[in-house]
Amino acid sequence: MSHRPALFAALLAATSFPLAAASHAAPSPWCQAGKPVKLAGLNWESGALLTELIKTVLEKGYGCQVELVPGNTVTLENALATNDIQVIAEEWVGRSDAWNKAAAEGKVKPVGKVIVGATEGWYVPDYVIKGDTKRGIKPAAPQLKTVAELPSYKQLFKDAEEPEKGRFLNCPTGWTCEGVNSQKLKAYKLDSYVNFRPGSGAALDAEISSSYQRGKPILFYYWSPTALMGKYKFIKLQEPAYNEACFKTLTDKDHASPCGSAAPEAVIQVGLSKALFDGDPALVGFLTRFNVPIDTLNNALAQMADNKTDAATQAKTFFANQGKLWRGWLPADVAAKVAK
Amino acid sequence: MDIFLPISIKAPVNRAVETLVSRFGDSLHVVNDLLLQGGLLPIERLLRGTPAWLMLILIGLLAWHATRRLAHAAGIVAACYLIGCFGLWDLLMQTLALVLVSTALAVLIGLPTGILISQSRLARRLLLPVLDVMQTLPTFVYLIPAVMLFGLGKVPAILATVVYAVCPLIRLTELGIRQVDPEITEAAWSFGTTRWQLLVGVQLPLALPSIMAGLNQTVMMALAMVVIASMIGARGLGEDVLAGIQTLDVGKGLQAGIAIVLLAIVIDRITQAYGQSQRLQNMTRSRETGGHESR
Repeated sequence: MSHRPALFAALLAATSFPLAAASHAAPSPWCQAGKPVKLAGLNWESGALLTELIKTVLEKGYGCQVELVPGNTVTLENALATNDIQVIAEEWVGRSDAWNKAAAEGKVKPVGKVIVGATEGWYVPDYVIKGDTKRGIKPAAPQLKTVAELPSYKQLFKDAEEPEKGRFLNCPTGWTCEGVNSQKLKAYKLDSYVNFRPGSGAALDAEISSSYQRGKPILFYYWSPTALMGKYKFIKLQEPAYNEACFKTLTDKDHASPCGSAAPEAVIQVGLSKALFDGDPALVGFLTRFNVPIDTLNNALAQMADNKTDAATQAKTFFANQGKLWRGWLPADVAAKVAK
Repeated sequence: MDIFLPISIKAPVNRAVETLVSRFGDSLHVVNDLLLQGGLLPIERLLRGTPAWLMLILIGLLAWHATRRLAHAAGIVAACYLIGCFGLWDLLMQTLALVLVSTALAVLIGLPTGILISQSRLARRLLLPVLDVMQTLPTFVYLIPAVMLFGLGKVPAILATVVYAVCPLIRLTELGIRQVDPEITEAAWSFGTTRWQLLVGVQLPLALPSIMAGLNQTVMMALAMVVIASMIGARGLGEDVLAGIQTLDVGKGLQAGIAIVLLAIVIDRITQAYGQSQRLQNMTRSRETGGHESR
């Protein structure tokens, strides 16, 4: 009997000690409760890398169980609204109906500034306008500057399946940008162009790379941060300046007479489910500070593409080489755990 | 302490693909255009240009000719009509063109190959493993390089479809020929046939039911590839399925999916009916001549 109190005290000490240590390390209530944090398994390059970065910090720094849930943008945004997943690493805020609706109802919360200075638009390879003396390519369209001039270049961007029309390489079906671009084709009166949807991101990249390597003209939608943007030189065609009213007619894919507008400056944040946002100040604190400068990101992505490494491997390289950058996101003790 | 040697074919393969693209990409794109202008597009234009009512009548006649049953023909026409009611007629014609061209190419390649491996043991040993690879290698592995070489759209889709769908035709052609009763072959030899006469006059006709079963499987597998094909920009019913899945529009996806199933049933019934009527004719013919029946 006499041993009991001592045993009890020992037990108490044993249980309270890790608690004390954890509180010192700004614990994540979500992860301490043993709940897994489900991240959107984004499948485009920058999204995949950013997701891996967050995953590493959560696992090593905060001791979370992390799961990646694959899916396309719309599915994942809906899953975030229902708290089936908790984090979308790269959310282009305001670009999709699913997100806007959930945000208006307060089911999802954007935090931080993951990427600043991202661009998107309609591009052609630089040799189409400037030529490439090294490869002996003459400029095929030296005057081309704006999307409005595209109708007179439809023969240059000829569609193989409908040779009397040009081909505009859109996003794959199901991506938010696909709807916007389809509306833009209407707005810029480009019915002499085929709205060609490549079906998958891999097919889009393959077609662009193939054309670039062969020095052929191609007109396509693209965006940064991406590996191709770091690897090749593209020139963006000018569009009418951003106009909120017009851009609304572009995001509404059933609008009959949309008017042209460049995309607004991209607001790219981390998307969180309300449950995680309300329940975990520690993780929210980290994600609010989470940011990768766009040049660093483009370089990392180009490296990833050149060495054909996957996002997880690239994330390891990032944590090994960019200590200054990522230590800024984290409290010192968490950073120390990540560094281990 | 790793027992595995670090072997990787990644870098050389990537280099090879890049060289292929820069060296042969242009000429292969020309091949792409020729295939499109010379084969696929005219067929597609013909199918899409034919008025729907005429097409339905033609399908009905073909179905009746194959099955010899009015009720079956009516069912087949009704299935096609239903796809039209879904508003998918145009997409149906595009898919049909894709499947027809893929099947035609598969027959052109599959039939001679099947005959070859039925005649030569060496060819059989060499080609059967290749068939295994063709049937199991994940399609995307060769689809994306095909896009880089041929360009986006229908031609790489057709190539991938042929690679995947030609296998059952080869296997069943070979099987059909090898299963021809040796006594019949011997009888033919004793009448002094040449090898060519034996093949064309005896073995192929007797193997026809098996070949038709192979053709039927080839068409079914070509249809199964329609959605994959849409992932590299081939338009048709598959694109609607893909769009349906990717935008959470389950109804749209299912509707196009049902259309693919209906098309599969239609083609299956018609090709099977031709195979069966051939089998019946064979049996009656052999009965009339007092020859062998299947035991």
